[in-house]
Amino acid sequence: MIASDRMGHGKYIDPFRGMPPTHTVGAGEKLVLEYVILPGESREVTLRIDLAGEGAEAEIRGLYLSGTDEKVRFDIVLQHRAPGCHSRQLFKGVAAGNADVRFEGKIVVAPGADGTEAFQESHNILLGETAQVETSPQLEIYADDVKCSHGATVGRLNEDELFYMRSRGIPEQEAKALQILSFLSPVIPGASSDIENAVRSLL
Amino acid sequence: MNNVLLKISGLKAGIEGKEILRGIDLEISRGEIHAVMGPNGAGKSTLGAVLTGKPGYEVTGGSVVYDGHDLLAMAPEERSWAGLFLSFQYPVEIPGVTISSFLKTAVNAKRKAAGLEPMSAKEFLALQKEKMALVRMKPEFAKRDVNVGFSGGEKKRNEIFQMAMLSPTLSILDETDSGLDVDALKIVADGVNALHTPETSAIIITHYRKLLDYIRPDVVHVLKEGRIVATGGPELADVIENEGFDRF
Repeated sequence: MIASDRMGHGKYIDPFRGMPPTHTVGAGEKLVLEYVILPGESREVTLRIDLAGEGAEAEIRGLYLSGTDEKVRFDIVLQHRAPGCHSRQLFKGVAAGNADVRFEGKIVVAPGADGTEAFQESHNILLGETAQVETSPQLEIYADDVKCSHGATVGRLNEDELFYMRSRGIPEQEAKALQILSFLSPVIPGASSDIENAVRSLL
Repeated sequence: MNNVLLKISGLKAGIEGKEILRGIDLEISRGEIHAVMGPNGAGKSTLGAVLTGKPGYEVTGGSVVYDGHDLLAMAPEERSWAGLFLSFQYPVEIPGVTISSFLKTAVNAKRKAAGLEPMSAKEFLALQKEKMALVRMKPEFAKRDVNVGFSGGEKKRNEIFQMAMLSPTLSILDETDSGLDVDALKIVADGVNALHTPETSAIIITHYRKLLDYIRPDVVHVLKEGRIVATGGPELADVIENEGFDRF
């Protein structure tokens, strides 16, 4: 896991230089994006989000279930450019087989974007012995009165939970599926049967 | 039917290359309650872990025959289907999984292994309600995530509730008394006693005699440094209480 953190040291540079935003959110508007990446596809998600008007909001959720020979890339730059904007980003996924997952997420709070609230989380489970997840969250803050946090984890299934479930007669594969589905549920509450089946297909 | 339910012969086991059980012999007949008492580090919890198949433990010698099966060759879930149950010393929290869905999955996995249809929702709820009452758990608990935010006493009651739901043939209670006040101890003991039948057996692993005032064992063993160093009737627990484990 790679994590880096820059808290507004140095000079503000417009993160969209030479690459216009893919989404511009105006005053009082709300952008909601949801990504579900199921086994069977490699996918690259590139987002440049500009919270340009006062009080703009963004909510972005992403879920991936990635199997052998599949690649997933999230490349996200989200800028708070106006005062009082809120953003929430939650990404969770499972890398099975030799899946190759990279998550790059940058939040920039531009000068003058006071009263910003920005949260970003990326949590990942490594299921395969040779699966790889790299996550690199960055935070640049050039404004005052800002609430920001980011968190990133890469881990394996909890062995104690698995044994507890198995000791109650829940088969190993089912115990793993239950654990993964409960891990994913904050991203997509009430997971669909597509997601359930996809989880089982990775086990 | 063979009256011997569990036969442990010369069992040696350890973890990470360290031998903890150094040759255990233990035979339990149907209907019997055995207490295994011993000081910290004697191997009590290791015995429970090895019998239920906890990954990470390595068996280096001996055998365990349970109800005619080679127990050590079975996966943890297969042992559960065959009627083995461990009440954990430290019950595990499972965020995001409710007690109700957890137990429904467990009960139906056992039924499936026995070639039975899944239990209907109605039947399951009735069973759940009945068994929760046994350990005086409020019905709302079924909707909570497994052990998440439970007090020590609530976790142990939840263990006995699960035991009631799965109606095991051999229950292993690993320090179920630790961290319980007298009231909770009594609720847990009443639950265990209510579930006891002439066909079911139990191993009570404990450091103290207190629990044995409520659950009367037929046989008491003293486990020390990975071996059973004394076996006797309930009076052995009194000797331990008065004279400590140093005597053995």
